[in-house]
Amino acid sequence: MTVALLKSQILHMSIEKQETLLKLAILTVAAVLSFSTRLFSVLRFESVIHEFDPYFNYRTTKYLAEEGFYKFHNWFDERAWYPLGRIIGGTIYPGLMLTSAVLYHVMNFLHVSIDVRNVCVFLAPLFSSLTTIVTFFLTRELKDTGAGLVAASMIAIVPGYISRSVAGSYDNEGIAIFCMLLTYFFWIKSVKTGSLLWSALCALAYFYMVSSWGGYVFLINLIPLHVLTLVLTGRFSHRVYVAYSTVYTLGTLLSMQIAFVGFQPVQSSEHMLAFGVFGLCQLHAFTDYVRSRLTTEQFNVLFRSVLMAAGSVALAAMGILTITGKIAPWTGRFYSLLDPSYAKNHIPIIASVSEHQPTSWSSFYFDLQLLVFLFPAGLYYCFAKLTDANIFIILYGVTSIYFAGVMVRLMLVLAPVMCILSGIAVSTALASQIKYLDAPRQGSQSSEKKPKKGEAVVPFRSEVAWTFTVLISLFLVSYTFHCTWVTSEAYSSPSIVLSARGHDGSRIIFDDFREAYYWLRMNTPDDSRVMSWWDYGYQISAMANRTIIVDNNTWNNTHISRVGQAMASTEDKAYEIMRELDVDYVLVIFGGLTGYSSDDINKFLWMVRIGGSTDRGKHIKENDYYTPSGEFRVDVEGSSTLLNCLMYKMSYYKFGSVYTEGGKPPGYDRVRNAEIGNKDFELDVLEEAYTTEHWLVRIYKVKKLPNRGV
Amino acid sequence: MGFRIKVYLICLFVMLTGFCTATSEDILIKNAERTIDLTSQLVKITHRLTLSNTGKSSVKSFSFPIDPKAQEKLSYFKAQLADGKESSGELKTEFSTVKGILTYKITLSSSLEPGQIVKVLVGTVFTHHLSPHPKEITQKEKQLVQYRGNAYIYTPYKVTTQTTKVLLSSSTVESYTKVKPSSQSDSTITYGPYENVAPLSEEGIIIHYENNTPFLSVGHLLRHIEVSHWGNIAVEETLDVYHGGAKLKGSFSRFEYQREQSGVSSVKSFKTVLPELAADVYYRDEIGNISTSNLRQEDDGDVSLELRPRFPLFGGWKTHYVVGYNLPSFANLFNSGDEFVLQMDLISHIFDHMVVDDALVRIILPEGASNIEVETPYAVTRLPDSLHFTYLDVKGRPVVEIAAKNLVENHIQPFKLRYTFSRIVMLQEPFLCVLAFFLLFLTFIIYARLDFSITKDETCDNRSRAAVMVEHIRNHYLKRSTLFQAFETQVAKLKSSRDINAFQAAAKNITSDLRAQILDLPSSLKSESPQLNDRVTELQKQDKAYRDFQSTHAQLVERLVSGKINKAQFVDAEALLTKKRDELVEKLNHLINTL
Repeated sequence: MTVALLKSQILHMSIEKQETLLKLAILTVAAVLSFSTRLFSVLRFESVIHEFDPYFNYRTTKYLAEEGFYKFHNWFDERAWYPLGRIIGGTIYPGLMLTSAVLYHVMNFLHVSIDVRNVCVFLAPLFSSLTTIVTFFLTRELKDTGAGLVAASMIAIVPGYISRSVAGSYDNEGIAIFCMLLTYFFWIKSVKTGSLLWSALCALAYFYMVSSWGGYVFLINLIPLHVLTLVLTGRFSHRVYVAYSTVYTLGTLLSMQIAFVGFQPVQSSEHMLAFGVFGLCQLHAFTDYVRSRLTTEQFNVLFRSVLMAAGSVALAAMGILTITGKIAPWTGRFYSLLDPSYAKNHIPIIASVSEHQPTSWSSFYFDLQLLVFLFPAGLYYCFAKLTDANIFIILYGVTSIYFAGVMVRLMLVLAPVMCILSGIAVSTALASQIKYLDAPRQGSQSSEKKPKKGEAVVPFRSEVAWTFTVLISLFLVSYTFHCTWVTSEAYSSPSIVLSARGHDGSRIIFDDFREAYYWLRMNTPDDSRVMSWWDYGYQISAMANRTIIVDNNTWNNTHISRVGQAMASTEDKAYEIMRELDVDYVLVIFGGLTGYSSDDINKFLWMVRIGGSTDRGKHIKENDYYTPSGEFRVDVEGSSTLLNCLMYKMSYYKFGSVYTEGGKPPGYDRVRNAEIGNKDFELDVLEEAYTTEHWLVRIYKVKKLPNRGV
Repeated sequence: MGFRIKVYLICLFVMLTGFCTATSEDILIKNAERTIDLTSQLVKITHRLTLSNTGKSSVKSFSFPIDPKAQEKLSYFKAQLADGKESSGELKTEFSTVKGILTYKITLSSSLEPGQIVKVLVGTVFTHHLSPHPKEITQKEKQLVQYRGNAYIYTPYKVTTQTTKVLLSSSTVESYTKVKPSSQSDSTITYGPYENVAPLSEEGIIIHYENNTPFLSVGHLLRHIEVSHWGNIAVEETLDVYHGGAKLKGSFSRFEYQREQSGVSSVKSFKTVLPELAADVYYRDEIGNISTSNLRQEDDGDVSLELRPRFPLFGGWKTHYVVGYNLPSFANLFNSGDEFVLQMDLISHIFDHMVVDDALVRIILPEGASNIEVETPYAVTRLPDSLHFTYLDVKGRPVVEIAAKNLVENHIQPFKLRYTFSRIVMLQEPFLCVLAFFLLFLTFIIYARLDFSITKDETCDNRSRAAVMVEHIRNHYLKRSTLFQAFETQVAKLKSSRDINAFQAAAKNITSDLRAQILDLPSSLKSESPQLNDRVTELQKQDKAYRDFQSTHAQLVERLVSGKINKAQFVDAEALLTKKRDELVEKLNHLINTL
């Protein structure tokens, strides 16, 4: 008889509390997930710094943590770009290193014993967790909490962002994306409220962004573009005026504090849009003020004359400044953004970097999957309900998709906006359907609900809603699987340690890079100078701690070209160059034995091109290294210039007698799939100093000049 | 100047002879067998001496000077009685530098009476005594080394008969100094027997032979032992290892190394034996994990770790690495009350025939350990104690630092470290964690509960007030529902017991309770939140309906009990009521849940 009255008493939280709990739970899970999904490489290999640039960042961070800020700021590194050296303090964005060093010191102050390396390894995952949270806030400002949560969950695992922020990938981008989204969030806030507080915060976030990544240029063009669009669409208001004026002035002043940026914000053309829009804002505000005080006719006369005068003065000033060189010419990297073929035609060193190549369609899908399709839907929803904030996100989406198309690297900038817009799309679409899920059950009970909505009764309302919801859920699940798969397969290899599967399925580790670097570190004189192609510069200086000729900073094209010339010349010509550069050891990467395809022979054409791009290397012509039929071959049919150049000899020294594969002649190169053409040769000016176990890295010692009379 | 030196020399000689005569008169070495083991990079010399007392008085001790040419290289010295069990007869030794000569004074276990003899075994180990010759070799060449020594035993006593056997690592001997009678057979060279050799006589010998055994030395060893009272001892060793043999001349060819088995004197890998219970072993260096290592559990229980440096070590090459592992503390840490004793090897095995030039052992004790006393198996330098800070430390952990030089495998002996540690201090760390989290949550609680804004947000206020109200109403109905249920239980009881009086008394109680329970709502509710007000009104209506149902039901049962209606009528009526009741319950539940 007794039926429990008031059954669901246990969970009697108010709706609001439930919502908060749910929100917190989802956000926490997303943040934790974004951290943990980036740990594949640490679990599979070890806590180690990846790739090339991160090694430089790691080295500088270590220096900063040990020596303090002022020493770091004044650091002249004589171990790189021998004999030029490099002023590290003035040529880097120090945000990343400062962040890690502060974290390191705080942790150690609290007696949490963590070393610099681990701080560096886990910094990027940590910041992606923060990015997840910021994305939530940003999207909430744009749409609502639901969209924010979806966007946060999406950005937690989006491969386009993970590719640059896995544990160990200690690069500027790792924290820059966080800074960028933070700046956007504060910007939206300040545009919405027109409050000085938010604008000042926005300027601070912008300062952090400038201190950490050169990509800040994108921000300082996007925000003015937003303001400009608002002006053109007649949405200019006092809020926008306050926001932009504050952000621009404060932000520019702050950004000039970074030594590497210096006076660029007022000189280079990349920053001119921001400056122009700032002026426009003042004029617009002033015009509005004058207009409110004058009659229409008076105003028109005044407006026209002032416009003419101001325009001509501005043009003249611009012209003079450009001619006198006060306004920096457009830099190559920026040109290549606007015109994809620019770099290829003009600057081989930019074109040679794989991450500067245009993005292929497949990599869009690979890095973003579902988001590619949800992006237009999100744009649609933003257009459907235009606000100042939505205009911003539309602009961000459209510009970044263009830039991502130009350069693979900028996929990183696109990924967040893809997530935000997709979050909006999914959330809005689901919200429109999910309320009909239990339509029939309510129908019998609360009959008063239906007429209230005033909707026509749609047949199969609930079924349609169910189908839709299940479908979207399936898509989202497939997105999750795809992201995890991509992360685990493509983006979680440290590239410093290679692994392969043996015949019996066991894992073979190729640790040759570190073997060679450590050999250099332990068994060469402390001041020896190592020449290698610039790719390995940062790794050598960080791991081997030896002086290098060129590194990944590629700031001096002639110097790199000189190294390219040495590699591309015959032994005696190369010896002159090596003596000129005081080289003690030469390091080459050779994959012929193991089948490692990104070795120096495969990069060799770039060395030839870059080597031949300066005056002193005029004699080096790319065509000499091809067969008459225009092929790049290392076998007997290869061009004799190639077969006798230094790079070839160093790679294949004594390789001619090695059996690499069953059924193939000795000296069979497993990367180029050819038996090498020049086998039995001796080196005159070099001697083999060390070759790693799998022949991946070969180090040669440059012989001293023979004694007279010997 | 020259005169002065001469004077000194004369003095020295006089004193030396004086010193010798003091005891040499009494002691005669009847027979001495010496084995010089040159099979590894170490020089291990064992002397089997038969001492006899030819004097008048009994002798308590005898001295054993070390050849001045090699005394710098002496690493280990041990004397024991030769007869009987080897372990028991260890003799007490103390050393002093007498007139520039390092001399050990060996005290016999029982004094040697005149005319008696005693057999004593004296073992010495020298490091860096073998020098490569030539100093540099190419990759293909074999390593040749030279041993420079004395054909006779260096002793202040007269030796009646003595023989020396030199064990070599290979039979390839380039040359050896011949002091008749001497002979070589296979990898052994024998000097002697020599008869009646005068005290301290010298006859230099040079043996030049092939020795391709690993000439590995540890330049510097830093050994960290971190004791945790939570059951773990973490050991970490940082080592600078170098190949001290003949230096590699010219180039290193990987091709030849892989194909032709050249570089025989180079070291590709070595084996480190770790303690039996070692776990979580790691092997790394400054640039990360070294992936070429193998861990094996040996049959005798020891854990052996096969370490392969990143690159083979040729003569003159060096490497640097870190090996670490954890040990459970029960095997090494003993206590009685708050007194603890840590007993561990001062240094541990690194590779066979190892040489450690310089060792620093840092023992990190838990925070709060005091009265530290160290007892070492051999003479070492104890450096001043320091403090170490790590996780959750407040005042730092005491660190005992011990430095030692020139060590070999024989030095793997346990030290004892006594200290006092109050166990209650162990709770400090968990307490710190709890405190930190408590403060964190407290801050959040305070932040969430208090309003820090200087302006008043009306809508937000109303909403939170309404939320409080809803909570209040809900609690009210929760209480009410228990009363309702109590009433129903009474009705059910009545049905079975048929005791109307008892029921009425109970029913009265419950009814009065229900009446007394009044939902007090602020009068402002209507204006602030009209929606909620409507719902509350509706709720109260339903509540009343439910009360009506209950009283009707009670009356019905009473009538049944008093026999006013028959069973069939009752069942029909009750079924109707139950249906109505179910509807009411659902409505009430729905209303309350969607307040």
